Amino acid sequence: MTRLSVEDLTERIHTLTPGDRTVRIMNVCGSHEHTIAFSGMRSLLPRNLELIPGPGCPVCVCPESDIINAIRLSKRQDVILVTYGDMLRVPSREGSIRAGGGNYRIITSPFEAVRIARANPRRKIVFFSIGFETTTAPAAAVLESGVPGNLYMLCSHRLTPAIMETLVRDAETGIDGFIAPGHVSAIVGSDAWNVFPAKYGIPAVVAGFEAENLLLGISDILARLGRREVRAGNVYGRVVRPGGNVRAQELMNKYFEVADVNWRGIGSVPSSGLELREEYGGRDARKVFGLGEVKEEKIPGCICGDIILGRAYPSACGLFGMACNPQSPAGPCMVSVEGACNIWYRTKKDRGNLPAKRDFKTEGRFIT
Amino acid sequence: MCLGVPMRIVEINYPAATAEASGVRREVGLHLLPEEEIAVGDHVIVHVGFAIEKVEEGLADEIRRSLNEAMGAADGEGSGA
Ligand code: SF4
Repeated sequence: MTRLSVEDLTERIHTLTPGDRTVRIMNVCGSHEHTIAFSGMRSLLPRNLELIPGPGCPVCVCPESDIINAIRLSKRQDVILVTYGDMLRVPSREGSIRAGGGNYRIITSPFEAVRIARANPRRKIVFFSIGFETTTAPAAAVLESGVPGNLYMLCSHRLTPAIMETLVRDAETGIDGFIAPGHVSAIVGSDAWNVFPAKYGIPAVVAGFEAENLLLGISDILARLGRREVRAGNVYGRVVRPGGNVRAQELMNKYFEVADVNWRGIGSVPSSGLELREEYGGRDARKVFGLGEVKEEKIPGCICGDIILGRAYPSACGLFGMACNPQSPAGPCMVSVEGACNIWYRTKKDRGNLPAKRDFKTEGRFIT
Repeated sequence: MCLGVPMRIVEINYPAATAEASGVRREVGLHLLPEEEIAVGDHVIVHVGFAIEKVEEGLADEIRRSLNEAMGAADGEGSGA
């Protein structure tokens, strides 16, 4: 396949974008938003083509209740809480895990949770396991490989396709197309997105993380607008297969089951998360430590929920870049490098190409 | 945390393996890939220590390039995992 240049792809996108209305294309992966923001792609594309960051940041959507439970667990003498580095600074009304000063360790892989458990046989190791399918499959793999009896899991995994369906039903967001996440798709398969064209008439195309590949994905979505199709597209076929990684799916299915769960700033979304299956209840920190659900309290001024649902851009938040910045995040979307607020903050500071041309600051919400 | 990193497999003791990227070696799990499909020298995408898919070398290079750009920009912001 001959590769098209950025110029060719941009031109194609201009030709394919309908002139008479706004077209809204959402990405659901922090890495996609990263490429879009840092490449300055928005300024090259038609003004009526909106590239909207969606729910692509697992740290951002992890419920406050789970953060609070993790903080409380880390303060127990008999517990060591282990989790990914991003989770330490996520704010809650009881502070953050790091600020709590309890017993916690940063891990970069579920393997390290096992290692820490083996090295500390007298402590209870609680692995605060979060993320979408790309971290769920590794969590399942580690369970499959056998873990010591003092390792428990506080499971806060979320399912990407489920939240996307909720978004589609949310009339206020009005999505015309999805850029489906590259590596989540490597696990679930590009066919997992067929429901969007088939049931809702909304094209979905799997794309990789390079600017050219994303532009190709966007042009593919535009070409599919208004066509009745039953399958999702895939311009990242070098990594993503239609059926995905079957072994990973089997392992996830063996250890986890689908549940109705909360998303921070959004609320309960049916069948959108995973919990440990009944058989593995002995490993489930919620059961073992009798963790209850703490009712979420809104962070004053933070509009993360609206941003995740594609109703507003980060710069519409009154705290953005002022009271909220990556050094002292007021809301969850500013913490992780996958969070839209964090990405937009850094884009502005480092590259000066925040798409301010469109005057998001005053408009905030998307306007047709 | 969600970032997939391309790495080259340098040693296999299935399902354990050692992989390398930019001169740094790391233990990775091959649990999510069938044993017969993976060999020393293959490139894989690694998420939180596990290979989730095999890729060709050319693509691994491309992903690495765009990742370096992204991470260079993220320097000093405390990305954690
Ligand atoms: S800028 Fe901060 S406070 Fe505002 S929405 Fe983003 S994370 Fe929340």
